[in-house]
Amino acid sequence: MSGLEPHGPELAVLAAVLASFGWRALGVVFANRIDPDGPVFRWFTCCSYAILAGLLTRLLVLPIGDLSEVGLSIRLGAAALGVAAFFASGRNLLIGVLVATGAFAAAVAWL
Amino acid sequence: MMTEPTLIYGAKRGALDALGIPLIVLLGGMTGYGALAHDSGFGLGLATVATVLVWGLPGQIAMLELENAGADLLAIAIAVGMANMRFFPMSVALLPTFGRHAGGAFGRLFQSQIMSASSWAFIMRPTAPVEARARVGYHVAFAAICLTLAVIGTSAGYFGAASLPRPLALSLLFVNACFLLLLLVDIRQRGALVAIVTGIAVGLPANLYLPDFGLIVTGVIGGTIGFLAWKPDRKDPGA
Repeated sequence: MSGLEPHGPELAVLAAVLASFGWRALGVVFANRIDPDGPVFRWFTCCSYAILAGLLTRLLVLPIGDLSEVGLSIRLGAAALGVAAFFASGRNLLIGVLVATGAFAAAVAWL
Repeated sequence: MMTEPTLIYGAKRGALDALGIPLIVLLGGMTGYGALAHDSGFGLGLATVATVLVWGLPGQIAMLELENAGADLLAIAIAVGMANMRFFPMSVALLPTFGRHAGGAFGRLFQSQIMSASSWAFIMRPTAPVEARARVGYHVAFAAICLTLAVIGTSAGYFGAASLPRPLALSLLFVNACFLLLLLVDIRQRGALVAIVTGIAVGLPANLYLPDFGLIVTGVIGGTIGFLAWKPDRKDPGA
């Protein structure tokens, strides 16, 4: 529907807050009935990881806004360097993030 | 040495964990968001309210981008809702591990509201406290520090927006994706790992061809395959 009234940032934030809160509240309602040792709990855990992975592909491969102006090869290349540094450093998150972000910044600055 | 499974013990652990790498990532990511909010014509107060109450960077960025593009409220709500729908299964997977110690309905809602991808991923790690009361302490302390850092980052980005060089501004938006990537490649539980790999494989075409519902499809398919691949580590009678 495109006929909604023009709105300000306040209403945009309100819409965003409600859209997020709704999922959280729904999760609370469901969580009340779930056995933490049961299969339903495991399924939800797996779904959470899958959604985070899906979100990751969106952030890295199909971003919106400013990041989409940076080439895919730069985004993926920097991410791959970060993963390599992460494992090379014995799974050190800090080193992985710094290497990936540093490589990304350098590529954006020079290319 | 025996650990004391208390709220305070958990809180100390949570605070220490939050003051490590999440500190840098949150300050970075939220600084990028603050700068974007400034450039999008949002007031600082409003940008900060969104940080605390939306509390999910991809959703916050989607909100700014769509508002900039003149999208209507329904489109904004759908896009943010889809970006943040992860909070539904994440809450379901987190809250039962607190047992009765999260409090009543309000307490559980509070825990869900302060939960982020980082707090969730950290508390799901095998190194996090196992005892329910300690987990509550861990999560509250971790999230409280994250929220504080996020507010500081939002403000810093907001005021520094004009002076932020473009490569740095872009990198601050990128840092969050990197952190998420590394949290996911660090998972070792078999079912979760299968869910992640499937999520990446399914996520690409699903997000491309079903931009509104791609994440739900990804979650259900990846989660179900991961669930089937879950290697039971205890003698649980099957169906």
